Amino acid sequence: MGGQQMSESFPVDYLAIEHLSKRYLNCNGADYILKDFSIEVPKGQFLCIIGPSGCGKSTLLRCITGFEQYDGSIRLGGKLLREPAVDRILVFQDFNQLFHWKTALQNVQFPLKMSRKYEKAEYTAIAQKFIDLVGLSGYENYYPHQLSGGMKQRVAIAKSLAIKPQVVLMDEPFASLDAMTRKTLQSELLRLQSIERSTVLFVTHNIQEAIALGDRVIALSQNGVIVKDIPIEISKPATPATPGFSELWAELNQALSAEPDIV
Amino acid sequence: MKKKIVRQIVFVVAVLCAWQLAYRNGIFPKLMFPSIGDIGNALLDGFSHDKLGNMVLYSLWLLLRGMGLGMLLAMVFSGLSIASSWFSDIYNLLVSIFDLIPGVALIPLAILWFGVGEAPILFIVVHSVVWPMSRSIIDGFRSVPPILVESGRNLGLSKRQQVFQIYIPASFSSVLSGIKIGWARAWRGLISAEMIFGTTSFGAGIGWYIFYKRVNVDIAGVFAALIVIILIGVVVEYLVFSTIERHTVRKWGVSR
Repeated sequence: MGGQQMSESFPVDYLAIEHLSKRYLNCNGADYILKDFSIEVPKGQFLCIIGPSGCGKSTLLRCITGFEQYDGSIRLGGKLLREPAVDRILVFQDFNQLFHWKTALQNVQFPLKMSRKYEKAEYTAIAQKFIDLVGLSGYENYYPHQLSGGMKQRVAIAKSLAIKPQVVLMDEPFASLDAMTRKTLQSELLRLQSIERSTVLFVTHNIQEAIALGDRVIALSQNGVIVKDIPIEISKPATPATPGFSELWAELNQALSAEPDIV
Repeated sequence: MKKKIVRQIVFVVAVLCAWQLAYRNGIFPKLMFPSIGDIGNALLDGFSHDKLGNMVLYSLWLLLRGMGLGMLLAMVFSGLSIASSWFSDIYNLLVSIFDLIPGVALIPLAILWFGVGEAPILFIVVHSVVWPMSRSIIDGFRSVPPILVESGRNLGLSKRQQVFQIYIPASFSSVLSGIKIGWARAWRGLISAEMIFGTTSFGAGIGWYIFYKRVNVDIAGVFAALIVIILIGVVVEYLVFSTIERHTVRKWGVSR
């Protein structure tokens, strides 16, 4: 629990990863999943991370969350991150990340309640506000099993944003949704991020999604080598019809297609 | 729900009719096989003359204390086995060992250690509850999806908070089946112990009643006591456990 206070004096409020390496032990000794990975993400940036399966994108998010031991350093506003804490919230792809014994509203309340920073009335109001923001007004008292996949992901997003984390880590949150729902949720997420201004690291397989959402996109190859790091400066919400979109798409696609996809 | 109850009532009535027919036709000796009427009379008689009511209350009082303590221990130990892998390894061994030992087999030791009175009976009941209940709770804890545990860890929850906020609610159907198993085992342990110990200085229980009726060859009285046990079991199953299920696992869509 400890060590959560931020060093206010630290001038830069960005996420800085230096020489991050992560190995998994296997029968041949140890395999690197991430090798000497470094990046700086300024506060408020929406960074999309794309790459083939096994390139270490999920592992990267898990290291930042504090779920994995790693070599190197991950700092947020200067503070070294080793343990999970509420300043970084991970949103999973799996619809079953919600607590099935809590209603939608209670799920969103839970992190606020556990943080002990708020009175009951306060956290109830905050949770309600975020339920409204993700367009689930009227569904507050539904249990997860009564919600569709898209609605569950909306609750998960509301839950992650309501606690006001400094960094939101999203591991393909829309990958299991149908195309229509995915598109809706993408624009909802953009709208929310423009209000909340939290730093977002968004992992996806989908180049189009990365361009549509990100301020910046990085493409990874095996061992987390950054093969492409480009700013997305076209107007939001970006669609394939937006000028400049197809050039970005081609650039990223080319960077990725040079990579053999390990399945 | 209604259909289920109708089917079950039809079944019970059919069994009672078959019983009465068997009695009428004298298939079994009368001594072994009393009529429904005899059993009913023995039941009324038990409550009006033989203080069966007091004995039932006394048994329930012992049962609730033993079960409460057993549940508490099972919860604490299962929770600790989440918090510490050392504890978990050792506790799993203990559960495997002690779950095999029938409560009655411990009665000689219980008498030696605790003397006669309530303590050895409570010891037997607690023993009957703790191990099977722990088994089912720990199995439940183990099958909690890792994603839920990580959702909790992400918030920086302590191990204790994880147990109370994540593991117990996430595996509540296993916890509940552990409580049901504990309840059934507690009854068995209690009745066996009471039949052997007889009375404590505070009173006699339903197990003693069965023993006493057996000694007096009052078989209808033995059946009456069994019916009381069954009725208590049915009431607890349909009122207590069903109500808990309706407000938890069914509401959550975990169990139908």
